[in-house]
Amino acid sequence: MTSLDLTDAARRPFTGRRVRFGDVSLQVVAGAAAAAVTILVGLIVWKVIEGARLSISHYGLAFVTRIAWNPVLGHEIYGAGSFLFGTAITSLFALVLAAPLAMGVALFLSELSPGWLRAPVTALVETLAAVPSVVIGLWGILVLGPALRGHIESWLHSAFGFIPFFGDPSPAGASIFTAIIVLTIMILPIVSSISRELFLGVPHDLKEGALALGTTRWEMVKGVVFPYSRGGIAAALILGLGRALGEAIAVTQVIGGGVFIHWSIFDGGDTLASKIAASYQGSSTNLQTASLVYLALILLVFSLVANISAQLIVRRVARRHGITRGGHA
Amino acid sequence: MPKLGHPIRTFTVLAAAAAALAVAVSSAGAAPARHSSTTITGAGSTFVQPLVSQWISPIGSAYGYELQYSGVGSGAGVAAITARTVDFGASDAPLTPDQFTACNGCEQIPWALGATAVLYNLPGVKNLLHMDGPTLAQIFMGQITTWNDPAIAKLNPGVSLPSSKISIAHRSDNSGTTFNFTDFLSSASPAWNSQIGKGVAVNWPVGSGGKGSSGVAALVSQTPGAIGYADIAYALHNHLSYFAMKNKSGKFATPGLRGMLSAATSDETPAADNSLSIVNPPAKYANAYPISTFTYVIVPLQSSKAPDLKKFLFWAVTKGQTYGPKLLFEPLPKSVLVVAEKAIAKIHS
Repeated sequence: MTSLDLTDAARRPFTGRRVRFGDVSLQVVAGAAAAAVTILVGLIVWKVIEGARLSISHYGLAFVTRIAWNPVLGHEIYGAGSFLFGTAITSLFALVLAAPLAMGVALFLSELSPGWLRAPVTALVETLAAVPSVVIGLWGILVLGPALRGHIESWLHSAFGFIPFFGDPSPAGASIFTAIIVLTIMILPIVSSISRELFLGVPHDLKEGALALGTTRWEMVKGVVFPYSRGGIAAALILGLGRALGEAIAVTQVIGGGVFIHWSIFDGGDTLASKIAASYQGSSTNLQTASLVYLALILLVFSLVANISAQLIVRRVARRHGITRGGHA
Repeated sequence: MPKLGHPIRTFTVLAAAAAALAVAVSSAGAAPARHSSTTITGAGSTFVQPLVSQWISPIGSAYGYELQYSGVGSGAGVAAITARTVDFGASDAPLTPDQFTACNGCEQIPWALGATAVLYNLPGVKNLLHMDGPTLAQIFMGQITTWNDPAIAKLNPGVSLPSSKISIAHRSDNSGTTFNFTDFLSSASPAWNSQIGKGVAVNWPVGSGGKGSSGVAALVSQTPGAIGYADIAYALHNHLSYFAMKNKSGKFATPGLRGMLSAATSDETPAADNSLSIVNPPAKYANAYPISTFTYVIVPLQSSKAPDLKKFLFWAVTKGQTYGPKLLFEPLPKSVLVVAEKAIAKIHS
């Protein structure tokens, strides 16, 4: 709002020259930055399509669903099916696990924690976001994987083995499940930091009003904080989903690999990003290289869809919010 | 907020896709800057890196060359020499026809000799275990699943093997070690050859993938009952147990220098592209370790640094070989040296 008013003021005829010069240069610099990003994304998309052309013309759309990846000369065949499955399952499960955890962390930090605890815990959560993914991956393969296999996986298998998701644990501890937990840890700080900011942004008078009406803290959170920040939470989750979709290195280290679709999440697999990271270097034929770039193209489309749906959700929730906010308060 | 997130994520995707390019650029960085002095830059195989590192100081005092080598992996090395951002590339697997075409006037020269060890982790079993190719192929195809399987027991009489499950670890990235290993399995097992084949990566029917030798080693050492593979120098440095492999003469050989040398003399006539395959050599090479391999340097036939490059390569395949044994690289046998020197002579400016 404020910036809009300023621009209007600058456009009025009798404003001083210096202000005008500043505005013009701001406009040029900011415009150039925006244009550069747009051009860059355009070039990336063009390059990716160009690089995948051989595979696209060779396989067409059948590539997207085919479950096969055999780079051996003379047996070559490629398809994205199992990687799409791996990407979808790891990202969605990670999101499902991370969402309640992140909400808990954010609520604790914004509403419940004693003042002296707030700053250190916030800093720790944000440090988690700064740990390089290759370090998380190493920890995943050396510590987390064996621990999950030894304790969680075998327990889940013996207790819930009748559900096909919880099959026989892979002995090496490198599995889709390990990848899910690693991704959960990686997206948790993003979702929780954004949510914390959102919760802190809920007007105090609304919260206090609710408490004054005799609600419990939980009822206040449920009735005021969540409805007020619903759109933002959705956007934060989609951001987390985007991170999970695109994470390559840490997943490559712990997921175990394999071109198959198993029901059990304790088996190995691959995601689009992990397959690209593992195989691009040293790709030995043109068709394989093109097929890997084709995977990148699919991943780009995936991310684009996630982004657009995030914006649609935010817009829709925001609109409904505008109409019904009075009711919630 | 999603607007902020999108380009960053797109970059992650592209970063993966452009990794080879980035490596090529970064390894090239030093070359143009010091063009006046004789700097020779190379990139590629991590397997051969310890050996090349040993050469830096002696080649400096012998000819005054500054040798720079980045162990970025065989594939990235091929990409770098294809883009001519380095003076030579190094790859453990011979180039495929597609890679040769792309490299446009390159030749590959065998310049080091090494071996792949088959690792296992079986706590409580102190004996050096024996293994043969057909059994190993069956294990990696998921047909033999427990340690006390009769096929394994027959190779190890008198050893009490546990009934635990065998878990399999392989490389998830493209690797010359995988090429060597699957080249051996294809040679030892017709079923493996027809169903899976050989390559820097194959369609593994079972097992877990680890990234890099370190990834495979981590999977093997974390998992009792695991089997994997890595180059012998890596296996030794990390104190991993490995099998004695049965060769065609019926002898069980460990991946040592003697076994490599015996295998290396088995292929005296290289293919037109100078590639040599010495896996599973005939029975008359009685001491051969059957999973031995040459690793290659890839150079452009025409190079602006031709005289220096030739001098360096001649040195590498002769004097340079003496630095090999303590790193478990067996010096090139005479027959291969002849091949290498002929190939080096073809480089021109």
